[in-house]
Amino acid sequence: MKTYLGIDVGSISYKFVLIDEKNEVLFWLYKRTEGNPIGAIQQGLRELRKFIKNHNTEIKIDGVASTGSARYLAGVVSGADLIKNEITTHARAVSSFIPDAKTVIEIGGQDSKIIILENKVAVDFAMNLICSAGTGAFLDAQAYRLGVPVEKFGELALSSKTPTVIGSRCSVFAESDMIHKQQIGHKIEDIVAGLCQGLARNYLSGVGKGKRIKPPIIFLGGVSENLGMRRAFEKALDQKIVVPFYNTVMGALGAALLIKEISPAQTKFRGFEVSEKDIRCASFQCRGCPNQCEVIEARIDGKIIARWGDRCAKWSNLNPA
Amino acid sequence: MEVKPIITFPRWGNYTIAFKTLFEKLGLEVIPPGEINSQTILEGAKLSPEMFCFPLKTTLGSYIPALKKGANTILMVENIGGSCRQRYYGTIQSKVLKEGGWEINVVNFRATPRGIYSDLKKISGASFLEIFRAGRFFYKKLRLIEKIEKQAQYLRPRELEKGATDKALDWALLEIERVNEEKNFSRSKKEISRKFSEIKIKNAKNLPKVGLIGEIYTVCDPVINFGLERKLGKEGIEIHRQMDITYHLKKSIFPWQERLLQRKISPYLKSTVGGHGRDAIYEMLNYVKQGFDGVIQILPAMCMPEVTIRPILEKIHQKSGIPFLSLSIDEQVAEAGIDTRIEAFVDVIKNHHKNI
Repeated sequence: MKTYLGIDVGSISYKFVLIDEKNEVLFWLYKRTEGNPIGAIQQGLRELRKFIKNHNTEIKIDGVASTGSARYLAGVVSGADLIKNEITTHARAVSSFIPDAKTVIEIGGQDSKIIILENKVAVDFAMNLICSAGTGAFLDAQAYRLGVPVEKFGELALSSKTPTVIGSRCSVFAESDMIHKQQIGHKIEDIVAGLCQGLARNYLSGVGKGKRIKPPIIFLGGVSENLGMRRAFEKALDQKIVVPFYNTVMGALGAALLIKEISPAQTKFRGFEVSEKDIRCASFQCRGCPNQCEVIEARIDGKIIARWGDRCAKWSNLNPA
Repeated sequence: MEVKPIITFPRWGNYTIAFKTLFEKLGLEVIPPGEINSQTILEGAKLSPEMFCFPLKTTLGSYIPALKKGANTILMVENIGGSCRQRYYGTIQSKVLKEGGWEINVVNFRATPRGIYSDLKKISGASFLEIFRAGRFFYKKLRLIEKIEKQAQYLRPRELEKGATDKALDWALLEIERVNEEKNFSRSKKEISRKFSEIKIKNAKNLPKVGLIGEIYTVCDPVINFGLERKLGKEGIEIHRQMDITYHLKKSIFPWQERLLQRKISPYLKSTVGGHGRDAIYEMLNYVKQGFDGVIQILPAMCMPEVTIRPILEKIHQKSGIPFLSLSIDEQVAEAGIDTRIEAFVDVIKNHHKNI
């Protein structure tokens, strides 16, 4: 059976999606990277192997694509046939599952983006430039500080009747404003709801600024799991927000769809054995010219498999084909 | 006691070569500025006021290696009239360097033909004829650099052997730097054009085209903008860029150009905002008219003129439907973030190109 694998390794979480030729999702997972992207990829591959062994040993992987901020690393380690940026993969997945979608709001661990679609193609996009307020990492930190599990964060926000106004231009100031509001005696659910509204406002005035946000609006990424954020966006935009199934793994799904379209004759996938091998990455500064690029070197069992990060291709040209 | 001036000047992409020749031909002792890299950017940013624009920091950083080698005089251009904070670069750099313990002298050039002439005369003591000759040689080199940059923009997406264009370009720049007599220049020029004509290209008429607009320093310096032209060229995209030194010089020699420009952009902006703000609007309108597949604006973070006109560019983008990307660059920006945006934008451009 022919299948295609999409791997999305982000700052906070990693996602695997396996699809068959009819675009049916056979397997998916969403887990925390916990600061170890290589370990995460290996763990993901182990789980996929277990799934194949238990369910359908007929499954053969015919193409792998990687995406997310660690797409190069994931691509090298897994032997991906395609390495694609996360904006294109998200747009691809949304346009095949929700063909009439016009706007995609995606908020992940450390970045947030907006994609404008027209006739199933991305025509415009924006990413947060310097500010990561309102992304998953910040919500995580605040949930921890308030002693609320992050999964409960949304429910708590929904229970609020009178959300507190939280200044949210910057995550550091938002945090001190929250502390202040706690100290003067606001209820915790009001603060949480106010925070969600503030972050939605921040997103719309930062990332979404100047973009034509038209319905249907699709909300994706880890933060879209948060009911409070969904409500906050609905309120701020005065529009219905659609959160589709597979909302957290859309990037990996898009990658899988893209590699299925290409359907390489011979995949470069390294196989599941790679999950048991010793993979190390190291970096060094090339002194060859005044550019002084940081070159990354990946080794599997001590053997160099790839180098990247150089501008002149002096090192990456040495990559074994 | 009069100290003999040893000159250095701000690094600016490939044009640095031409400036070096200009000062050398005036009989000055020159130590060229250091390359822009993470080290020099770091040193420049450490000395600079945090909220100042990025080019101040990078050029400041580029002096440091030259100052360490013994340079004691910095030549900095000062643009006058409807300009931006660039006007204060010389003053601020002089101040922070002196506070940092360097004993230096910063000469502020006024960027008008007369100002350049009188300032050159004052520091070098050269005669009119010498200045004329040095200026002529400078301009020849500059024109050639700009010409091969343009050729490379055309050749990169068409080359059959990947990287051949950049190889030729790097070689040509070294060759231009090496020639130090004007009488040998035409031979080198021929050699360079032969090298470029040897690059084998495929016959491609209908390539996606992208216009680069924005702040002159960041748009022209391939190190500062993370090799944007190379990256897009490799993706098979033809680049067009109007902004270069000749363009800027022409505008200061023929002042009525500014008025003609204003007339063309009047529906969008009624007055100057400094820098090349009006030019960016004009260029973008032109690219829309010519049916380009995208426009990229590059600006240093906190660049006042470019930030001011960004909403106007956004508006043109929404009205015309041309894909538009604005990249703001400073010492905090990671190349990975820029790459992600460029990669995604390339996909947008290619879709746009396919659909028309």
